Amino acid sequence: MLFPTLTFGLFFLATYAVIWGVGRANEWRKILLLLASWIFYGAWDWRFVALLIFSAFLNWGTAALIARTDEEYEPGRRKALLAFGVAANLGILGFFKYYDFFLEQLGLLLAHFGFERDMPLLEIILPVGVSFFTFQGMSYLIDVARRKVPPASLLDMTLLMSFFPHLVAGPIVRASDLIPQFRRTPKLERGMVAMGLLLIVWGLFKKAVIASELSVGLVDPVFFDPSAHSSLDLVIAAYGYAVQIYCDFSAYSDMAIGLAALLGYRFPYNFNQPYRARSLQDFWRRWHISLSSWLRDYLYISLGGSRGGLARACRNIMITMLLGGLWHGAKWTFLIWGGLHGIVQVLETLWRKLRPAGWPHLPAALAIVATFHIVTLGWIFFRADTFDGAIAFLDGIGRGDWGSTIATPLAIGLILFGMAIHFTPPTLAQGIALRLRGVPAIWLGLATGVVILLIDAMRFEGVAPFIYYQF
Amino acid sequence: MSEDHHPSPVDLPGGPDFHGRPLRWATIAIAVATLFLGLFNATAINGWAVELAPTPLSARIVAATEAWEETTEAIGIAAPRAWLHARWKALQTARFKGQEKAE
Repeated sequence: MLFPTLTFGLFFLATYAVIWGVGRANEWRKILLLLASWIFYGAWDWRFVALLIFSAFLNWGTAALIARTDEEYEPGRRKALLAFGVAANLGILGFFKYYDFFLEQLGLLLAHFGFERDMPLLEIILPVGVSFFTFQGMSYLIDVARRKVPPASLLDMTLLMSFFPHLVAGPIVRASDLIPQFRRTPKLERGMVAMGLLLIVWGLFKKAVIASELSVGLVDPVFFDPSAHSSLDLVIAAYGYAVQIYCDFSAYSDMAIGLAALLGYRFPYNFNQPYRARSLQDFWRRWHISLSSWLRDYLYISLGGSRGGLARACRNIMITMLLGGLWHGAKWTFLIWGGLHGIVQVLETLWRKLRPAGWPHLPAALAIVATFHIVTLGWIFFRADTFDGAIAFLDGIGRGDWGSTIATPLAIGLILFGMAIHFTPPTLAQGIALRLRGVPAIWLGLATGVVILLIDAMRFEGVAPFIYYQF
Repeated sequence: MSEDHHPSPVDLPGGPDFHGRPLRWATIAIAVATLFLGLFNATAINGWAVELAPTPLSARIVAATEAWEETTEAIGIAAPRAWLHARWKALQTARFKGQEKAE
């Protein structure tokens, strides 16, 4: 059930009516939300609803046991329970996402040393959103162990992991953000509703018009066969993919935040104009914020962060970014993408610490352009199906064949538009929402209808799944 | 025990929101938008219906959405969407000078 479809629209209208229909009965509201979330998830594959429920029970039970231990007198038991919980989550993720990949690599390694074997590959179907809900479960366990959040009830914990707006592609909403909201009866505000509707419509436009058009008309054909395209095509397709992935993924986040707002819940920011970043470290404060802050809080800091000297800080950055790359999938291209981001962030850290006094800083505009191009280089590895495919793509750019292109005026216009929105005032949408909250409901409804009609007239036929569904 | 809170884009600046009856306001806005799209976007509704898995129920839904699409075309309220779609298609087929024309 994809967000920008009529099936989801009808599902959401029914959920909205039922949820607000129960009035102030908060427990019933949560039970109905949970059922709605399972219906939403079951629309992909009913079998994985059981996995979701099992995962929620596992995290709820482990957290309850952790909370019962005495921090002072039973530190070993507390650590063992936490280690068990984290290992169980990683086990779920590892089995569904990485089992076949690691076995294939082992097979290749054995073949290299002359021990060729048929590996017992399982060809496992990846449950949609498994990376998101397992990370959410782990952060909950760690937060309970760190006494940052109290243990949640079984209903709240199950709903935290299953809540349909964020279930399949984030944002990774932490227990500390959502559980306190589940404990009280949600209350709407007009500003929240106006911003929610604005985010839904804006997300719909980014996904259904910009991302879909760029994907089908430019990016997919060029990445499918780089050798059949000119260098100019390859460069434009690389820029096109940078805009496509932003418009695709941020659209999902915007719609998720907007849908949750219409149900009375607040989700945190997940994007903040990432292509206006002045460094890779700045980029990660603006791109997929819920994942980057997760990696910072639960991995980088757990590894020691910047404590222990410069060399250790650089090592921790590299480990964090490599594992961040691997989080996206079991492919070498993701590892290289994470490695590239890690190396550049290490260089930035070294430069910040060791830069000779008095040397000038890079002008802001130049820093933005340089950062964007490093990010775009990374996207080539991220998008390519194989490492060889990415190298063929880069070779093609180096061929220097700039004479022709398949890029249409519309594709160029959408790329420029996708970049231009990064340089609008950061609070523009909130400013519009502030004005909209004073508008009569009928006019707001008509305006919403007109904009959706406009988008629907522009959208590409059919809706491709969101890129981040595969993670 | 502290709780982390990350800012949300739906928390607007400028302090509390004193506008009254937000649920009623939201529900009316959503209902009007739905009604508007039901009236003016029958093509998309029928497009959705024909993609449904074939069952006796979906056959009835398709018959109803087709009839509704024909009605909206007959009374002219499908025209704005059709006009917008045609303009967008023209933009899609536009090419730079020297490029092959779209099929």
